[in-house]
Amino acid sequence: MIATLAFASLLRHRARTALAILGVAVSAAMLLDMVMLSSGMRESFRSLLLSQGFQLRLSPKGTLPFDTEATIRSADSIVAIIRARPAVAAVSPVLGGQLHFPLAASMVNATALGVEPSVQGDYELVEGRNPSAPEELVANDALLRALGRAVGDTIHAASGYDPQLRSLSGQRVLRIVGRVRFIYLALDQRAAALPIGTLRAMNGPQSEGRASLAMVRLRPGADVERERAALQRSLRTVTVISTSEALKQVDERLSYFRQLAVILGAVSLTVGFLLVTTLVTVSVNERIGEISVMRAIGVHRWRVVAQILVESTMIMLVAAPAGLALGLVTARWLNSILARFPGLPERIDFFLFQPSAAWTALGLLALSGILAGVYPSWRGASLPIATTLRQEAVG
Amino acid sequence: MSIRTTLLLICIALRATGAQSPPSRAPRSSAGARTIAIDSRLASDAKLQVGDRVVISSEPGAPGDTVVIAGIVQRSADPAEIARGEYRVRLHLDHLQTLLGYGDRVDRFAIRTRGDGSAPEAVARIDAAAYGFRAHRSADVAVETSRTFAVVSRFHRAIGVITIVASAIFLLCIMLLKVDERRRDVAALRLIGCSARTIVGSVVLEAAVIAVLGSLAGVAVGGAASWIVNQHYQAVYRTPLRFSIVTGDIVVLAVALSLVLGLAAGWLAARRLVRTPPLALFGR
Repeated sequence: MIATLAFASLLRHRARTALAILGVAVSAAMLLDMVMLSSGMRESFRSLLLSQGFQLRLSPKGTLPFDTEATIRSADSIVAIIRARPAVAAVSPVLGGQLHFPLAASMVNATALGVEPSVQGDYELVEGRNPSAPEELVANDALLRALGRAVGDTIHAASGYDPQLRSLSGQRVLRIVGRVRFIYLALDQRAAALPIGTLRAMNGPQSEGRASLAMVRLRPGADVERERAALQRSLRTVTVISTSEALKQVDERLSYFRQLAVILGAVSLTVGFLLVTTLVTVSVNERIGEISVMRAIGVHRWRVVAQILVESTMIMLVAAPAGLALGLVTARWLNSILARFPGLPERIDFFLFQPSAAWTALGLLALSGILAGVYPSWRGASLPIATTLRQEAVG
Repeated sequence: MSIRTTLLLICIALRATGAQSPPSRAPRSSAGARTIAIDSRLASDAKLQVGDRVVISSEPGAPGDTVVIAGIVQRSADPAEIARGEYRVRLHLDHLQTLLGYGDRVDRFAIRTRGDGSAPEAVARIDAAAYGFRAHRSADVAVETSRTFAVVSRFHRAIGVITIVASAIFLLCIMLLKVDERRRDVAALRLIGCSARTIVGSVVLEAAVIAVLGSLAGVAVGGAASWIVNQHYQAVYRTPLRFSIVTGDIVVLAVALSLVLGLAAGWLAARRLVRTPPLALFGR
């Protein structure tokens, strides 16, 4: 009965109700987007870091992995020390660098990753196989396209230039044995991976025994934080970062987006709340005679309150599904804009849909709907019956 | 490793700071040690001041060089640096090259040309003669390094579009309510002979006044919000960069937009009202 009356009241002013629902839907869309932005980016980054099962990362002291061009000295002995620990299942050292591929009329440059192919966690094989010999490499689509080569081809590569001799340095003829997708690199970033020993040899003595990063996979059941602390204590020249620590660093760097999400989410919720409050208050003002009659014939004060609360909640809940659908569309649009950040890994989503985000948005909308009805329902329920009836009768 | 990157990684080990030497801008302090400049963020975090002696090395644990802090520099308002938490240390070029065992290598040269027109020619001549490096115009470098901010700017514009849609609906709804409240007044005016045009005009005028007053209040709120945003993020990122700027163009755009939206909303609501017969407006 209460719902029927509330529904009838909303239908009485169709244009007004439709506009309110549309306004709330846009606010709900924005709210969902902002809830997705505030939590999705973090979740997306977390799943990216854990996608290959490496829970710890070692980088040069005071830096984040690949944040600078600094490298770890004596990396081989550090890797050996880590591998000897009982809780460690695998260690993957990685050396970052550049490769230059001279073509007939131009030079193609690419990011190079020196890895141990048997334990690497930087790429996924799409076609072919992992490098098994020193003179083999795997490349991504962007590089293969730029080179005009395919799996099975050979190519001249160099690691640098010697300006004095006016020649390329660290030259090799490498065979492309696989097409891969790099997990932590941008989609359009040209890149190749080759055995770490080959890249070190190409770079020359300054790369001897060095690595940019080492990723550590622990055995199931191992305490990640305890292992991180133990490694940090024993290895003075590196910073050991766990996934939670990396997420904390990412949170700090991208705090702008999180705070923007909180502010815009709050503004969206406030706009929706004000819209519904205004609408229901005006609606109650128009019906004060009707409400007084209801009270006069014995309808309890709480029924009046309930009817008005149901009215405001109904607007919110009817608008919510449309708003959530609209939110998913706008989230894709906004995500496609932010995906153009230079160097952003392909798999990072700023707006990641999670059921919890939808439930959070829906819960906030419902709560906002109930709160929006509080003032008008209090006003409706507290009308002096006799005075209102007399004023309404006199006009 | 590049010099620029290594510069960021210079390790500073604090040594007893009892021996204070006077500030110096010369390559060597009066005590004979080389001098460096550090950024204010590092000075604040490590509690360093001008005249302090510190040991710097290119890697943790490596033998270092004792130097004197000769200056503390304020970071430039560079958007590219705000999210990076690194410290900056400035050394004389030869000092850094020696510290790193880098020979006479450098990361880049900056060249000032005579007049704007000579830059392309200089770039072409350098590229023709160079091997292993390339010349770029500063303007091109600026475009490339500001791609991140172009993305952020596009994102802000997209958010702005959504906000404008929401505002337009909100405004239309409010105007509809305001006009609906005056159904009886409008009906009476129509019955005594006021034209629909006059009524629409008065409602639109009212909408315009509301839109202008609202947008002026919005400008005040926006100015205050901008001040809070700058205070907050300048403190968070410890930078003099201004994150939010309210310019005359932005104010004009905001006021014009709200005026147009207000007029459109008022006109739509008034048209709807004058098309209803006066007696129907009276509820008869």
